Amino acid sequence: MQAIVAAKNLHKTYKSGGVETPALRGVNLTVAPGEFTAIAGPSGSGKSTLLHLLGGLDRPSSGEVWLQGERIDDKSPVRRARIRLWKVGFVFQAYNLIPVLTVLENAAFILELRGFPPGERLSRARAALAELEMEDYAERRLNQLSGGQQQRVAVARALAAEPAVVFADEPTANLDSKTGQALIEYMKRLNHEKELTFVFSTHDPRLLEHVQRIVHLEDGRIISEETVN
Amino acid sequence: MWSLAWKNVWRGRSRSLTTAAAVAAVVALMLVMYGFSGAAQNGLFQNLTRTSGHLVVRVKNADEVREFDLGLIRNAAALKTELTGALPEADIEAVLEVPALLAGEERSRGVVLLGLEPGGHLMKEFGDEYLAAGKPPGGDDWSAALGAALARALKVSVGQSVYAFAPGTEGMGAAAFNVSGLLDLPESNMEARTAMLTLGVAQELAAPDAASRIVIFLPGLKTLAQETRLEQTRRQLAPLIPAGYELLSWREAQPALAAMLEMLKPMILIYALLFFVLAGLLVVNTVYLSLVERIREFGVIITLGADRWRIMRLVIMESLLLVGSGAVVGGLLGGLALWHMSQGFSLPGDLAKQYAEFGLPEIMYASISPAQVAQVFAFAALTAITSALWPAWLAGRLEPVEAMRHVT
Repeated sequence: MQAIVAAKNLHKTYKSGGVETPALRGVNLTVAPGEFTAIAGPSGSGKSTLLHLLGGLDRPSSGEVWLQGERIDDKSPVRRARIRLWKVGFVFQAYNLIPVLTVLENAAFILELRGFPPGERLSRARAALAELEMEDYAERRLNQLSGGQQQRVAVARALAAEPAVVFADEPTANLDSKTGQALIEYMKRLNHEKELTFVFSTHDPRLLEHVQRIVHLEDGRIISEETVN
Repeated sequence: MWSLAWKNVWRGRSRSLTTAAAVAAVVALMLVMYGFSGAAQNGLFQNLTRTSGHLVVRVKNADEVREFDLGLIRNAAALKTELTGALPEADIEAVLEVPALLAGEERSRGVVLLGLEPGGHLMKEFGDEYLAAGKPPGGDDWSAALGAALARALKVSVGQSVYAFAPGTEGMGAAAFNVSGLLDLPESNMEARTAMLTLGVAQELAAPDAASRIVIFLPGLKTLAQETRLEQTRRQLAPLIPAGYELLSWREAQPALAAMLEMLKPMILIYALLFFVLAGLLVVNTVYLSLVERIREFGVIITLGADRWRIMRLVIMESLLLVGSGAVVGGLLGGLALWHMSQGFSLPGDLAKQYAEFGLPEIMYASISPAQVAQVFAFAALTAITSALWPAWLAGRLEPVEAMRHVT
């Protein structure tokens, strides 16, 4: 089966004030469709950098990134934005919802960027919120929600757009352990029921019990991989 | 995106309100200025043409002719009859201006004796508008109405006699007149050197059956916007004008005054540009601060798939909505003020009298064209777009990863 995401000999070095800091040193990774993959490692191991490169948010210093058979690292910023819009979903540690919009408007936001008509985007957003058991909060403002609820809205925003893959950068880091476990359960269910591919980073070992595949990253290198049955 | 832009505009409520209020003030002020300019232009136009006519027939290059007799239209009555036949609805009158020396018992002054047709449009205008005492000259009576300032200078009053000397002319050259009335003319210079008499008397004194000019008043021509009628009439009358004479519009006959009217347009445009630039600086500040406060949010939107053009569009939309809100309020306030001014207004204090010297009527009526209203709102839209360009360009260049790490 063709990999949905592939990284080939990926290097990323940050330069600041003449100082070079390597973040990734030759990462090779493939993710098959429908996988529920965790990238684990301590802070500074390069997890976020790897997710940013895989999601087309940044360009590697060298190496290649492929998404659904299309090389994306050599594309222009405008082209990569278009690829992200139509193929990639993101969930962030800090939720990163748009505070002036309601829950429903946030969930429909990517569809609005895609130019979907209001009726269609709102019905799809409602369905996505229902998957995350957030439909009763559709008209609420974000400041009326808890952190866990906001993160569920963020997952619903990604889900509503039906992306090829969802990258989640430490999605539970701002949540207490119970809420974090619950969020991972939601994501896992979506992975099972909708065969939605998830790649997420974490340094919380308790969450790793829920995943199929764990990629251990340290000092910018993959040091081990394990598949959990 | 319009909905998001609208919500973003009102996030910094007090800042946005201040900016929108400034835009509203500029839009309202510009509408009022255009209305005032229209009132002034129409007032000047009416005042100027009320005594000078809309069209005038005179000797070619009359302004350059120094000799009195070379500046005369001969057989003026016949030409007037011909013109009246072609344009029966218009008021057409012959006017004879005679340079003369006018003397009272003690003093004398160089004056222009203005011979007007008794019962005609001009005599009526002067009588209705400017007669301060006595009555207009009339009939075969050798009488004259003097500018009040001239009468004071000659130390004469109504009922007394003055003596006119017009040497080198073709008529009697000298005559005594009874002062029938006093004229309070709007221009003090004109008031100090004008005496009005009937055309017949002026012709007998200086130039039988001749006129300095034949003036044509077109009925219903009240505003500059109706001026296109002049050209049509001019083309219609042109074949009737004998060789050696010319038919001029009021603008050509009084180029300095016409130029003064035209000057109002660029002046208003300069004011508009100045005001909108000032408002634009405020808009730039508001849009820029709004961008700086939301860099992280822009990073999220870019991450989700918005390209730089869409981000730029969002910033410009916000600016358009901010300025648009102000412009709508300003439009309403300006519209109300214009409606009030269109019922008639006068300048405060002594300003009305001072400006009357330049031909402005004391009561004016605001007038604005749809094109001018469109121009004000186009200026507002242009301000919104140009003010947002720099912040939009900055927003469009944000790198998503860097922007999401930004801490305000």
